[in-house]
Amino acid sequence: MIEAIPQLLVNALALGSTYALAALGFVLVINAVGAVNFAHGELVMLGGFVAVGLAATLPETAVLPGLIVLPGVMLALAAVGLVLALIGYAPLRRAPPVSVFISTIAIGLIIQHAVTAGIGPEPRVGPPLIGTGSVELFGAVIARQQLATIAVAGLLLVAVHALLKHTRFGRRLRAAAQDPVMARAIGIPVVLTTAASFAMAGALAGAAGLMLSNQYFVAPTDGAVLMLKAYVATVIGGWGRVWGAALGAFAIAAFETVVAASVSYLVAEVLLYVGVLALLMLRPRGLFGEAEGRRA
Amino acid sequence: MRAIDRRGWVYALMALLGFAALAAAGDGYALRIATLVGIYAIAAIGFQLVFGHLGLLALSQGAFFGIGAYALALATVELGVTPLPGLLIAVLVPALLGALVALPVARLESHYVALATLGLAQLALLLATNLEVLGGANGVYGVPPLTVLGVNLAEGWPMLVAVWLGVALALALGGWATAGRRGARLTTLRDAPLAAPALGLDPMGYRVGMFALAAGTAGLGGGLQALDLGVVSPAVLRFDVMVTLLAIAVVGGRGSGLGAVAAAALLVPLPELFRGFESGYLIVYGGAMLAAIVLLPRGLDGALARMVPRPAPIPPRQGTVPPRLGVALRVEGLSRRFGGVVALDGVSFTVPSGRIVGLIGANGSGKTTALNRISGLDRVGGGEMWLGKTRIDTLSPARRARLGLARGFQHPEIPADLSVFEVVVAAAPSGEAAMAALDRTGLIDRAREPAASLGPAARRGLDLARALATGPSVLLLDEPAAGLTAEERDRLSSLLRRLAREGRALLVVEHSMDFLLPLADRIICLDAGRVIAEGTADTVAADPAVRTAYLGREVVS
Repeated sequence: MIEAIPQLLVNALALGSTYALAALGFVLVINAVGAVNFAHGELVMLGGFVAVGLAATLPETAVLPGLIVLPGVMLALAAVGLVLALIGYAPLRRAPPVSVFISTIAIGLIIQHAVTAGIGPEPRVGPPLIGTGSVELFGAVIARQQLATIAVAGLLLVAVHALLKHTRFGRRLRAAAQDPVMARAIGIPVVLTTAASFAMAGALAGAAGLMLSNQYFVAPTDGAVLMLKAYVATVIGGWGRVWGAALGAFAIAAFETVVAASVSYLVAEVLLYVGVLALLMLRPRGLFGEAEGRRA
Repeated sequence: MRAIDRRGWVYALMALLGFAALAAAGDGYALRIATLVGIYAIAAIGFQLVFGHLGLLALSQGAFFGIGAYALALATVELGVTPLPGLLIAVLVPALLGALVALPVARLESHYVALATLGLAQLALLLATNLEVLGGANGVYGVPPLTVLGVNLAEGWPMLVAVWLGVALALALGGWATAGRRGARLTTLRDAPLAAPALGLDPMGYRVGMFALAAGTAGLGGGLQALDLGVVSPAVLRFDVMVTLLAIAVVGGRGSGLGAVAAAALLVPLPELFRGFESGYLIVYGGAMLAAIVLLPRGLDGALARMVPRPAPIPPRQGTVPPRLGVALRVEGLSRRFGGVVALDGVSFTVPSGRIVGLIGANGSGKTTALNRISGLDRVGGGEMWLGKTRIDTLSPARRARLGLARGFQHPEIPADLSVFEVVVAAAPSGEAAMAALDRTGLIDRAREPAASLGPAARRGLDLARALATGPSVLLLDEPAAGLTAEERDRLSSLLRRLAREGRALLVVEHSMDFLLPLADRIICLDAGRVIAEGTADTVAADPAVRTAYLGREVVS
């Protein structure tokens, strides 16, 4: 068990950084429109399949197949995110949030079964980021894919952080998330920031899907579980807190990795849901609560 | 109290046509499909109680359907129970689980409900797939067909009739659970979540009851399906069942049982058109849900209601509201901070019964915060509050309301789907009491109008009527005169005087001094969360501190 610790750590970090990408996109949409995107897991899943499809067009001998298709996957999923905003959110801007829940459940259903109908229900393997094989590190054998995942996902997380924190666009995004009415009043184009949030959510989901699809395969039915994990990460990290969600994602990944390694993946999953239910029972508004906007 | 709803005839005609077409076609295949429509319709009618009437997106209804199917299969195959009592087990097991689930879930709101119930459904699926006791991935085989008194109802018309009797039972149960005053209360809890507790309505009991009823109905559907197919596999717990029920509810129209039956008749046969196309039908369900939520947000039933409006219930005769009089409101050292801002800082006062006390102060001086603390909508902060001899500051807003504390709102939440009478009866002990309250606020002639058709002044009157219908001894009002014409203000003044003279204690927050000063027996002036003056209208109005803090700065209207 001792020699497995570096291995577990790397596993948890790699899984955590992909979950974090997925959770980040999930929170960006929550902040932009105040509603949960139930199709988010399907975006991650679709990212995996787009990666499989794009990689198939590369010559057999291509090095770095995953890295080559990454921009394409992110662009494609950004476009899907925009379409989602256009169909699933724009017509329901003034409707209660539950309408957006339903429209995104519907779109997720369409994506999932369109993929099943088009490609079939079998799991597929996505391209590795920088090829297969492994390296030895601290006496442990570690897959190159794992290390590459940590590096690429880490870079993307840093890039999102820089974008939100240090650019005019990021400030507008945060302002529109905090108070859309006031943001509109002071001239921030809320329509554009909303569209950008959906596009970014799609792109990040696509990247997460690509990275998950190599080690864990990708199947059309994966969406629901991926969405639940992004959701749970958001609840753990504090509703609407961008970096809280990323931390929550790492926590879930660490938990999953350790329990799966010592007991079984099934037990890990069962315990995760039981834990969330217990959390919601004790703290009905999530671990750190939710900013209350209602007034009498 | 019931008026004839002509939409019932439309649905009856549709059902008649459906059965006639079925009899004409008459082949076993068509009968199987019609049976399946009934099975899904039963579970969807139950789903409407939670999704439609409570307004909670509980994604566990599909799981309860599956649990019902499993309960029946295991009871009949493993325990040797005969199918009819097996159906009872298929209803009771999910109903009990539903009530248990509701205890924690009922405290949640919005997407947290969806998350918790989705997690539960996922758990059920994992357990069924992996526990050998439950048949594992293969499920349970050899479920006997439904027999009643030795007669085999396995298939064809007998099974169809049995299932559609179940549909009728589910419709009757759903109708009973959402009829009359209870229906008005459910709508108030859903559409006026802030006002409802102040009217004495507590969501917990309704939510637990509705969850249990919905889960039991889902179980009936699941049990019937197990009997129909003779086998139960973990597939019955997959999300597909849930999205089918959701699509039926959305297309049928929020809350409508009959709409759900119509939508089930439209949607459930669809997979048969997509045979050999795996789960392609779910793409169509997704499309139908999306189209319905965007284009027909109220579904088929809402579209029908636009052509054949739902008649408002016929109100009863006017009765009386028995008031609980002679109880004073006392507030001691009330305080509240929002972060670093002190909104209330040791505020103490008494509102004796039979008196009107006016609460004045500049914007942000803490007036509405005080009302929120007293009514219990805001339960954070220090101080003691007494209603007569009962200390109320630890009680829920609904408990305070039931003890005789009522509140009117500055911007009242009025459920748009209800008639004027229904809005008030939701808060009243009886229909007669509701009519008495409407009479006092001059709205009795408009009792059958839709509440949504009222203008701003009448909405205020409706909010006051609703508060009065609870039979309060203490009445808190937040800017009752705002936006009223001179004539309407005069009427309101004399009404408030009469209410006080009868023995109620009134606390009135108001900006308009020419309305409040002649009305109030005493005036309390707040500034930055503290009482800076208290006394008769004349003394407070002449107080130099009040003049600088408030009157001098603001135009007296």
